[in-house]
Amino acid sequence: MSKKECVAMLLAGGQGSRLKALTRKVAKPAVSFGGKYRIIDFVLSNCANSGINTVGVLTQYRPYLLHSYLGTGEAWNLDERDGGVAILPPYATQTGGAWYAGTADAITQNIGYLESQDPKYTLILSGDQLYRMDYAEMLQVHKDNNADLTVAVMPVDWSEASRFGIMNCNADGSIEEFEEKPAEPKSNLASMGIYIFNTDLLIETLKADAKDPDSEHDFGKNIIPGMLAAGKRLFTYQFKGYWRDVGTVASFHEANMELLGPEPAFDLYDESKPIMSNASTRPPAFIAPSGVVDDALISNGSTILGTVKHSVVSTDVYVGQNANVIDSILFPGARVEEGATVVNAVMGENSVVKAGATLGDPNEETIAIGDDDVIEKGDE
Amino acid sequence: MEKAVGLITANYAVANPTALTSGRPVASMPFMGRYRLVDFALSNMVNAGLRTVGLIMPNNYRSLIDHVGSGKDWDLDRKDGGLFVMPGSNFGTARNGGRFLLRDLEENRAFLTRNSQEYVVLSTCNFVMNVDVKKLIADHEASGADVTVLTKKATEANPDILGFETDSVGVKGKKFGVEFGDTEFLDMAVMKRELLLDMLDWYSAIDHKDLFCALVESGDIARVSVRTHDYEGYVAPIFDAQSYYKANMDLLSPSTLEQLSPADRFIKTKAHDNPPAKFEPGSHVQNSLVSAGSRLYGAVKDSVLSRDVVIEKGATVSNSIIMQGVVVKEGAHVENAIVDRGNVIAEGAEYRGTPEEALIMAKASE
Repeated sequence: MSKKECVAMLLAGGQGSRLKALTRKVAKPAVSFGGKYRIIDFVLSNCANSGINTVGVLTQYRPYLLHSYLGTGEAWNLDERDGGVAILPPYATQTGGAWYAGTADAITQNIGYLESQDPKYTLILSGDQLYRMDYAEMLQVHKDNNADLTVAVMPVDWSEASRFGIMNCNADGSIEEFEEKPAEPKSNLASMGIYIFNTDLLIETLKADAKDPDSEHDFGKNIIPGMLAAGKRLFTYQFKGYWRDVGTVASFHEANMELLGPEPAFDLYDESKPIMSNASTRPPAFIAPSGVVDDALISNGSTILGTVKHSVVSTDVYVGQNANVIDSILFPGARVEEGATVVNAVMGENSVVKAGATLGDPNEETIAIGDDDVIEKGDE
Repeated sequence: MEKAVGLITANYAVANPTALTSGRPVASMPFMGRYRLVDFALSNMVNAGLRTVGLIMPNNYRSLIDHVGSGKDWDLDRKDGGLFVMPGSNFGTARNGGRFLLRDLEENRAFLTRNSQEYVVLSTCNFVMNVDVKKLIADHEASGADVTVLTKKATEANPDILGFETDSVGVKGKKFGVEFGDTEFLDMAVMKRELLLDMLDWYSAIDHKDLFCALVESGDIARVSVRTHDYEGYVAPIFDAQSYYKANMDLLSPSTLEQLSPADRFIKTKAHDNPPAKFEPGSHVQNSLVSAGSRLYGAVKDSVLSRDVVIEKGATVSNSIIMQGVVVKEGAHVENAIVDRGNVIAEGAEYRGTPEEALIMAKASE
């Protein structure tokens, strides 16, 4: 992609409240994932790997960690003089200010930024999804179709289809009808919340939407149906591959587990499209003479004296002597002390399970404890 | 406040080159899985708040410049100060001499005159250690010495280390090679920047010598007070393959790791985007350091693995150092070996050295 042909606007302000304790202190895009990553790494790496060098990141909920993690965008090769990462939180003006009141409103409030970058196309992304996609390919499809808007879609299980925004398409990929969470879906092509707009039309549409008192200022609910009704050229881009929107603790747990095994559903080791991160440089992991590790990801800086099975272990984790960690995810700095057991659980950053204590139950729903939480023996 | 500039010599010759140093300078020898020796010297300085560091380059500098880049991973990419990559002579000092060649310091006089910090901290890259340089500078200021050298009581003989003869006040003489109990010089020193500039003038006629050798041989040691600062932590002098092997094996202890990279002064290195190490079902790893990007299917024991290593099913690795990108194929066995980067150990192959003499597989040609 040539410079400023396309700018990405990355929606990263959501709380992700269904992740419960995991998003108590950080926004969902900043939640640790897959050992050394944070969720937002996947989308930022996609941008970098697709040749997009200008990314506006819209933040709102608990943004501190997210802001400091993004920094200059250098970790994703996005520190460019002309472009790079711009952090866009809600702001005040002479006439007041407001929180972002919806996905479309967040972009509307930053039309100024978009205009300053002046891209021909605008790519709208969510900062909380896990997938690898070449946006350059999607943009090519958008151009080939001479489209006004292209929506990335993927087939989902028919039984799940009523949970998504469903696109009913014509043979040429153009969108005939859009149904948000239909009770009786006519298609199983779900919107991934990834859009490419012609920027001029996007700005025009957003300005009109902002004046509509009945609008919820949401892309899925208002903008797309409105453009469809107005007879604009709406097309789909069919994505095939791994994609997860880890909404709940259970699906977050499952997505982490999908990184494991010799043939994982999502392969972190695919070198053609590396996932980049702003992880700190730490020493190699140390597996002690007493340590047992089987079917796990172990990140730098970790010390394993006990047993770790079928788990994802982040940076600077400590697993003490005779401790057992099974089917679990340990965030950076988590400590499992001597003789403790962690099963089917997610431990937040710098959380501790004290000596002899137990967290989680293989027969119950996956349990999550938040950053800095401490589980004492007897707490369970 | 930045009180000192750092100056690291990375261009001296070592007495015992091996296959490990034929393709790279000592400064860029991989160590402790993901690090290179220069990381320790750079981190020691940066962790003490130094933000201006000169690095005198060897002639075969490709791997070193590739590693340090702009210095950003050590917070040395700065508008003011930062990392200065500087020229050095081809072979540095004589192999049994010191490692601060006067000619190289003189050649880079501008680095010393253009910065205004009060002190200069000198270091080489051959000693793996984590030094509290802030304390070294504070001790130097408190003692009122002209020069403070970092030393340690030798725990074994080593012909490659410069020894100092001392009395109750400080250094009085030098010797090449140390015996047990000698005061060994850990190739780190602090002095006033102005004093170093003066010394470059004093010794301009003998600029083929090492700074400290010149100081002793000229007799100036009688008027320039050189005191020692005792280093108490873990130190590994790396001068040949066997000391390199032994130092890596020393790492397989939490207390050594803690001394080399404590949380408040951790060793910085070039950042990479390797995924976490992946331990596949059925793998068996014990008492080992495993770096990111490695995929393990087989058995690893008492070993240090660099980044992007693959140990296939049925392969065993023990008491070995496996460098970046090495693949140990199915059923191969590696024991007491140093396998340099990029090698592929063929299926079923056996490579065994002894604990006293590790087998070395040189870097694979690219």
